[in-house]
Amino acid sequence: MKGLVSYRRPVVLIVIIDAIAFSLLFLYKQPFDWYVLPAGLLVIGLICASFHVITRKSLGDEYLFLITAMLTSLGFIMIYRLDPVYGFRQIMWFSAGILLFFLSFFVFLKFRFWHRLFYYYVSISLALFILTLSLGESVKGSKNWLEIGKFSFQPSELIKILFILSLACCFSKSEQVIFKGLSISFPQSPVRYRIVLALVSYMPLGFLVLQREWGTAIVFFLVYATLVYAFDDSPRFFALNAAAAVLGAVAGYMTLYHIRVRVETWLDPWKDIAGKGYQITQSLFAIAEGGFFGTGIGMGRPDLIPAVNTDFIFSAICEEMGIFGGVAVILLYFILTYRGVKISLRVKNPFYRATALGITLMFGFQTFIIIGGVIKLIPLTGITLPFVSYGGSSLTTSFIALGMLQAVSVIAEEPGTDGPGPGADKFEPGADESGSGAGGSGSEADESGPETSGIGPGADGSEPASVVPEAEIHGPGAELDEPGPDDDINAEHIKDAECRNLDNSGEKGVAGSNETDK
Amino acid sequence: MFEILSTVLKYIFVTIIYLFIYSIIRLIYLDIRSVDTSVRKREKHVPYLKLINRREDLSFKVKEHYALNGVVLLGRSGKNDIVIADPYISGSHARFTPRDGQYYIEDLNSTNGTFVNDTRLKNEPKVLRNGDRIQMGQVEFVFVDGSRHKR
Repeated sequence: MKGLVSYRRPVVLIVIIDAIAFSLLFLYKQPFDWYVLPAGLLVIGLICASFHVITRKSLGDEYLFLITAMLTSLGFIMIYRLDPVYGFRQIMWFSAGILLFFLSFFVFLKFRFWHRLFYYYVSISLALFILTLSLGESVKGSKNWLEIGKFSFQPSELIKILFILSLACCFSKSEQVIFKGLSISFPQSPVRYRIVLALVSYMPLGFLVLQREWGTAIVFFLVYATLVYAFDDSPRFFALNAAAAVLGAVAGYMTLYHIRVRVETWLDPWKDIAGKGYQITQSLFAIAEGGFFGTGIGMGRPDLIPAVNTDFIFSAICEEMGIFGGVAVILLYFILTYRGVKISLRVKNPFYRATALGITLMFGFQTFIIIGGVIKLIPLTGITLPFVSYGGSSLTTSFIALGMLQAVSVIAEEPGTDGPGPGADKFEPGADESGSGAGGSGSEADESGPETSGIGPGADGSEPASVVPEAEIHGPGAELDEPGPDDDINAEHIKDAECRNLDNSGEKGVAGSNETDK
Repeated sequence: MFEILSTVLKYIFVTIIYLFIYSIIRLIYLDIRSVDTSVRKREKHVPYLKLINRREDLSFKVKEHYALNGVVLLGRSGKNDIVIADPYISGSHARFTPRDGQYYIEDLNSTNGTFVNDTRLKNEPKVLRNGDRIQMGQVEFVFVDGSRHKR
C-alpha cells in the first residue's frame, strides 16, 4: 500500500492535475464559481473509481483508460475555462461516457455474436444516414445533426462504430445470420467478396459526402484503406482503392466549391484573412502566442478562435499550455494508438482483431486530421478531437468504442480459443494437439478459463503453434505463468494452482513411482 | 494574484503531464521487457523461479524469470547468481541446491527470512515442489519445475 501516493502511479498524477486545475479555475473569475469545486471532485472521483474497478477486477488493459482520462481531463480544463456552461455539460457527458464505457465493455465481452450481425450494422447505418439526410439539422454547412425532442446528436459518430464492426465482419468472412435458421454466407470467390467489401465501405462515404462531412469521410476511407492493407493480401485491390481515392479527391476538387475553398485557404489563408481564412489564421496566431510554456490557463485569448470548444480545442491548449502541452497531447494519442495496435496484434480471432485495429485507427486518424488541420499541415476539415473536444455524441461514442477496445484486450488474453469466432476453427488443430499431447493436465490447462497469458511470457506466443509445446511441457505449471494483474486475484490464482497441483501431484506421484521402480 | 498563480502553475502542469507520459511509457516498457522468452525457449527443462509481484510495484529491477541451473545463490550483493536490489533482502539471502533431481532451498541466516508457502524457513534446507511460493523481502516467486512433468 505504500506505493499508493507514489509519483510512479499515473492515476495519482491525473488526480493532481485535476485538483490543481479545478482550484485554479475556481479562482479564475472574481465572483467565485462555486460549481467548479463539486465538478472537479466529480471528475476526480469518477476517474479514480473507474480506474480502481478496472485494476481490481482486472478488466484488461489499464493504460487505455488512464490515457483517455488524462486527455479528457485536459479537455475539461480547457472547455471549462472557455465556457463554464459547456464545461459542466462536458463533465455530465463524461459521466454518461464512463457508464457507457463499462456497459459496452461488458456487453461486447459477454455476448459473442457480434461477428454475425453484419446485415444489421449495414442496415442500421443506412437507416441513420437516410434519417439524417431527410430530417437532419444543418449546422455550419454540414447536414449532420439529428434532433429527437430536445436531444440532438450526430449520427455519424454512431455510424463510425457500426462501420468498423461491419468491416470487421467482412474481414473475418464470417457467416451472416439474419433470422433464426436463415443464414447467408459471404461469397467465397475473392472478387465477389471484395465487391461486397467495397460496397459496404463506399456507401457510407457517399452519404457523408452528401452531408458535406468531409472530415469524417476521410477518416472512414483511411480506416478502410488501412484495414484493407492489413488484412487483404491482394496488392492490386489496395492499389485499386488508392486509385479510387485519388480519383474521388480530384473529382471532388474539380466539382465541389466547398472542397476547393478548403484547399485554397490551406494553401494561402492570408489572402482572405478576414473571411475564409479567419479561422485558420486565428488558430495559428493562438499557437504562436503560446510559445513554449503557454500563457497560463485563463491568461490567453483562445476565445477569439471560432469553434474553439470543438474543432479548435488543440489551438486553445497550445495557446494556454504552450507547445509542450500540445506535444504532450499528441504523445498521449501516440501511446493510445500504440496500445490499441498492441491489443489487436495479440488477439487471434480475426473479427476482434479487425475491430480493435479499426477503433484504434479511427482515434488515430481523427486526431491526425483535426490536429493537422488546425496547425495548417493539411486542409482543415471540421471533426472533433476524440476525448478532448466538447461534444456529447463524440465523447460518448468514443467511450463506447474504448469500451469495445477494452473488451478486446480481455478477449486477447483468453487462452487458445478467443471466442466462438469464425477464425477459431483455423487454430483448432493446434488446440487439439495440445489436448492429446499433454493428456489430462493439458486439457485441464485449456479449460482454466480466467487464466490469461496476458502480460506474461505467453503473450509473445502470437502463433498458436508456439504456445502448444509450452503447455505440453509445463503441464500444470503452465497456469502459474500468468502474473495476474491483481494481487487478490493472484492469491486466488495461486490457491487454484495449488489445488490443481495437489490433484496432479497425485497422478504424478503414481507416474513418478513407476519410473523409479524401473 | 491569479496571474502569478497561473504563470507558476503552467510550468507545473507541463511537468506533471510529461511525468504522466513518462510513467505510462515506463509501465509499457516493463510490460514489453517482461515478455522475456529466453528462459522458456532455450531451457524448458530447467526449473525456474517465476515472479508473482507486479513488476511496476517494485522500485528495483527484477526479472520475470530466473532459471535455476546448478547451485544458485540469491541476494542483494553483486557476487550472487541472482541479484535483487530489494532493501529487505540480505546480502546473501538464500541458496538453491539441486540434489537427486530435486531442488532444495536454504535460508542463509537472512535478516528478514525466507518464506515457503508462508512458513519461515528454519536452518535446514527444504525441498521445493512445483508451484511452491517463495517469498523474500518484497519479492514473491513461484517455483516452477517443468522437468518433472515431462513424459
